[in-house]
Amino acid sequence: MTNMQKIERDIGITDTKISARNVNVHYGATHAIKDVNVDIADKTVTAFIGPSGCGKSTFLRCMNRMNDTIDICRVTGKIELDGRDINAKSVDPVQLRAQVGMVFQKPNPFPKSIYDNIAYGPRIHGLAKSKADLDEIVEKALRRGAIWDEVKDRLDQPGTGLSGGQQQRLCIARAVATEPEVLLMDEPCSALDPIATSQVEELIDELKQNYSVVIVTHSMQQAARVSQKTAFFHLGTLVEFGDTSQIFTNPTDPRTESYITGRIG
Amino acid sequence: MGPERQHIVSSYDRELEGIQAMVMRMGGLVEVALSEATTALKTRDLELAEKVRKGDRVVDELNQAIKADAARLLALRAPAAVDLRTVLSVMEISSYLERCGDYAKNIAKRTMAMAGSNEIEGAMSGLVRMAKFVEAMVKDALDAYIQRDQEKAEEIIERDLEADQIYNTLFRSLLTHMMEDPRNIAAGMHLHFIAKNIERVGDHATGIAEQTIYLVSGVLPDDDRPKQDRTLTTLQEGDV
Repeated sequence: MTNMQKIERDIGITDTKISARNVNVHYGATHAIKDVNVDIADKTVTAFIGPSGCGKSTFLRCMNRMNDTIDICRVTGKIELDGRDINAKSVDPVQLRAQVGMVFQKPNPFPKSIYDNIAYGPRIHGLAKSKADLDEIVEKALRRGAIWDEVKDRLDQPGTGLSGGQQQRLCIARAVATEPEVLLMDEPCSALDPIATSQVEELIDELKQNYSVVIVTHSMQQAARVSQKTAFFHLGTLVEFGDTSQIFTNPTDPRTESYITGRIG
Repeated sequence: MGPERQHIVSSYDRELEGIQAMVMRMGGLVEVALSEATTALKTRDLELAEKVRKGDRVVDELNQAIKADAARLLALRAPAAVDLRTVLSVMEISSYLERCGDYAKNIAKRTMAMAGSNEIEGAMSGLVRMAKFVEAMVKDALDAYIQRDQEKAEEIIERDLEADQIYNTLFRSLLTHMMEDPRNIAAGMHLHFIAKNIERVGDHATGIAEQTIYLVSGVLPDDDRPKQDRTLTTLQEGDV
């Protein structure tokens, strides 16, 4: 840990954004997440790593109630966003997902124009008062998605016509257009080439100035590169959670060590 | 050698074992060089001294080969956790051993330079005793590394205090000889440099032990052991 991080932590700049307590998830008879407790810090990139099927994506999806859409999925325990229970009856999941945005493994632009891909969210959430307003939101989101220069002359063309890397940055721009507070990313670079991956990683680094970013990744090097905090999941449990530099140089749990060093665990 | 469990990619294990095997080979050569340099000094064996001087080239080449392999391993495997610490500690230990090799070579060169000079009574036995003591430290430090034995490594760090004390005694004794008879100065200076070289080898053995602690625990020990080198104040006291 650098001195700067120490100072930040001591004076409490990194507040808790999402706090999960005793979270359990069942898919029918399968116990997918077992008693997970974790605090996700604000303005920080947190990486979830672990072998396939360890529950990291499932847990990520708990944080904006994406698991609600799966009938056989049952989530128990408490997840708070800024101290507010996200599973409370009064919380509208659509509003929640505007606050807690998500980017998926495969770029999934709407079959609409580039402009409408971005404008869709702000429109349904009533974030723009006028056309000029909306234009501004679209430009700002595309700039944040680091794709404005590449698409500014063809905003009326379909988003699906872009390259894979551009599509993914479009989806990130779409996710930030509603001004979320938290951005969940489920393997956002697994379908991208190294150049596009670097662009997305640079973007993640910029996004952390304003957002709390949680990224699920199979690339441990990516986790090491982009995150400040790392959580290692194994068989549905959160095995170890700590500063990324500590997890990758001196992990406490032998299971973490086996996984990140590429040993048979 | 190495952690009990193997990597899924077995060539990774072979590469990690490869650089550790090289550093051990280097350690073996340095131990022999120190021992032979001491023998050459004691028996005034110029042939043996020449052999030590020439032999240092192999140690230097091994050091370079280890550094090259370690750099390649870092670039291609991006090692983490204990693997990363293994590579980093191997690089450090290789540097320490390379310098120990240089000191052995320097002792050999001074042995040749001292041929035909005055013999200083009593100084040689102290030097040889110190050399043996420090050689054992190097050997044990390498053993502790191989065995991943943190306790043994900590014990070696303690032993360095004794090496420092022997050096202090030698320093005073050489100074006395030189003050008593200026004809002793040429030999006395050489012998003092040799003593200092041997003392530095002890420091490097300590460095190797510290790397073992880092490898095992992930934390480099604090450099807070009391310094026993009192020679810095000896001259100012002027009461030797």
